[in-house]
Amino acid sequence: MQEMEGGEGRRAGGERSSRLSALQEQLVWSLLGSGLSKELLIQAMGDLERERASAGAEKMDRADGESSEEGDMDNPPPIFHELERLPPEEAARQRAEVDQLLQEDPWHMAKMIKSYMQQHNLPQREVVESTGLNQSHLSQHLNKGTPMKNQKRAALYSWYVKKKAEINQQFTNASRGVVSGEESGDDVRKGRRNRFKWGPASQQILFQAYERQKNPSKEEREGLVEECNRAECLQRGVSPSQLAGLGSNLVTEVRVYNWFANRRKEEAFRHKLALDVPYSSQSAPSTGQTLTSSPSPVLKYSQPVLKYNQSVVCESLGTVRSSSGEDQGGGGRLASPVQLEPSHTLLDTHHHKPASGGGSLPPVSTLTSLHGVSGSSAAPPGLIMASLPSVMSLGDSSLFIGLTSSQPQTVPVINNIGGGFTTLQPISFQQQLHTSPQQPITQQFQSHICPSSFMATMAQLPCHMYSKADLSSYTSSLLSQAMVIADSNSIGTLTNLTSVRQILTSDPEGHSDTPIEEESLHLQSTSPEPVSSGSLELYPQTHTSETHSSHLLSSPPGDIDPYMPTQMVSTAQ
Amino acid sequence: MTKKIFLSHLEHLLPMMRNAQWVEVVGRDAIYKEFLFKDFNQTFGFMSRVALQAEKMDHHPEWFNVYNKVQITLSTHECGGLSQRDITLATFIDQASVL
Repeated sequence: MQEMEGGEGRRAGGERSSRLSALQEQLVWSLLGSGLSKELLIQAMGDLERERASAGAEKMDRADGESSEEGDMDNPPPIFHELERLPPEEAARQRAEVDQLLQEDPWHMAKMIKSYMQQHNLPQREVVESTGLNQSHLSQHLNKGTPMKNQKRAALYSWYVKKKAEINQQFTNASRGVVSGEESGDDVRKGRRNRFKWGPASQQILFQAYERQKNPSKEEREGLVEECNRAECLQRGVSPSQLAGLGSNLVTEVRVYNWFANRRKEEAFRHKLALDVPYSSQSAPSTGQTLTSSPSPVLKYSQPVLKYNQSVVCESLGTVRSSSGEDQGGGGRLASPVQLEPSHTLLDTHHHKPASGGGSLPPVSTLTSLHGVSGSSAAPPGLIMASLPSVMSLGDSSLFIGLTSSQPQTVPVINNIGGGFTTLQPISFQQQLHTSPQQPITQQFQSHICPSSFMATMAQLPCHMYSKADLSSYTSSLLSQAMVIADSNSIGTLTNLTSVRQILTSDPEGHSDTPIEEESLHLQSTSPEPVSSGSLELYPQTHTSETHSSHLLSSPPGDIDPYMPTQMVSTAQ
Repeated sequence: MTKKIFLSHLEHLLPMMRNAQWVEVVGRDAIYKEFLFKDFNQTFGFMSRVALQAEKMDHHPEWFNVYNKVQITLSTHECGGLSQRDITLATFIDQASVL
């Protein structure tokens, strides 16, 4: 008697394993019945799967590494340890959920996962470590919807499903810190736990408390601990008594104590910065004032930089020269720790404070929030934009030199052609100076040399100053801006150049001190138009307006519109 | 060295086996039984259990399987006939078949 039944199989004991085929059920049951314990079986399963995965990975390496959308199961990412799962039913359930999520819209899933991570304050690093996904790719996928291949999404969703299960379990477990044995793998990676991070809800509570009292007692702190934890639980949609689910983001008195301590330090630092505001606000409006004044507070800031001698012209040049190198270094040092936007600084005469002013380090969070906090407060000059028309008369060397020396020189002066020469081309300049009263022509020539190197050095300067900033976008913007400004200012030089040539041809004796001066003065006031492009090897298109140079600006990364996946044809599917 | 079942013992045991539907094979010192299950899954589950036990005992059956039918012959090769192991395995097989 042979009944040809379909392959449904009988379910022993009801709905025990919903996703296991009958035969699988039978086999598993057989295994369990053969004296194999559940734990042993699961462990063995994990080991075997890992072995198979690594064998698969080897095959992958040898084979052609084409990225096909199929073959999700052919090349399982060996790094992703989705192996440790307690009961096989749970494993099957999770895999089923992952499959389901894979069918959904990737962008919706990304939003869901991102909000889940925010809700539970989970660091991206954790996802990256356990899935092997690239962090940049992951971030872009979650925030901007950058497409992600199915297999990788599967890894992500698997982590998500697993994490949800973990957290649910944490919340329901009476004991704290029960992480279902999977933490043992993570221990190696990140100490024991993820780094604690304040949630927005807690921060709100703390700030309110801070307003009331900056120095809470232990009892008050403990009260805040309770409040914060309650808020965090509510944010996660869990009963406030289930603290275990917060995991590494559980708020404790120590953390609250540290938070208050950091805020107090922060405020003290801000207060200290505010004290220096009066100086910088007077220098902000015009650089002329900056040039002539040399208030002492600034010197305080520029401690590592040599002080400049205003009185002696020639000597100060030497000082300027030797200090300029350090100055750049010092300015660089001062500016580079500040994570500010250099282009903003360059154009704006409002100056941002260097983070390391005064020799004391500000509290930890200040550095990250500095431009938010002190954006409006003036500070010792990060950069000094010298407007040049007043300097154009090159014959007037005293003013010219005075331009550089009168500044306390905390930072290099950009686009100060006179100063530029000083700072950037020390050698030629010094020669100039020695001969300055007698040979304006030489001066002119050497000033001719300088612009080319000026531009070259200009290019270097931003790099020097903002080694930590995003050079690609900022450098071009800096350059273009500098070019724009340089245009109007260097026209004088360049037209002087042409005039020099003219003079030379017509009057080789070189007694044309006055004519040059006159011309330069005259030319100053003219529009840049008359400059012939022939002599302007350096700035072939300098006389054009900003619209031209604006095309040199590369679009800053922040302006890229968020990637709209709905408009995108998803090849992944 | 596995020993054949002592004849006197066999006199007890064989009836027991016969009661359990194990029949003696003609021309050979072995016992045989056929099993029928509802479908292949059940059958193979049964076979898996038997297989695991066989491995554990280091004593393997001769068997044939078609879909939901299993025909098993038990004999010990070393001693050329029935041994205690066959009896033990037969008992186990019977238990497994009703699980």
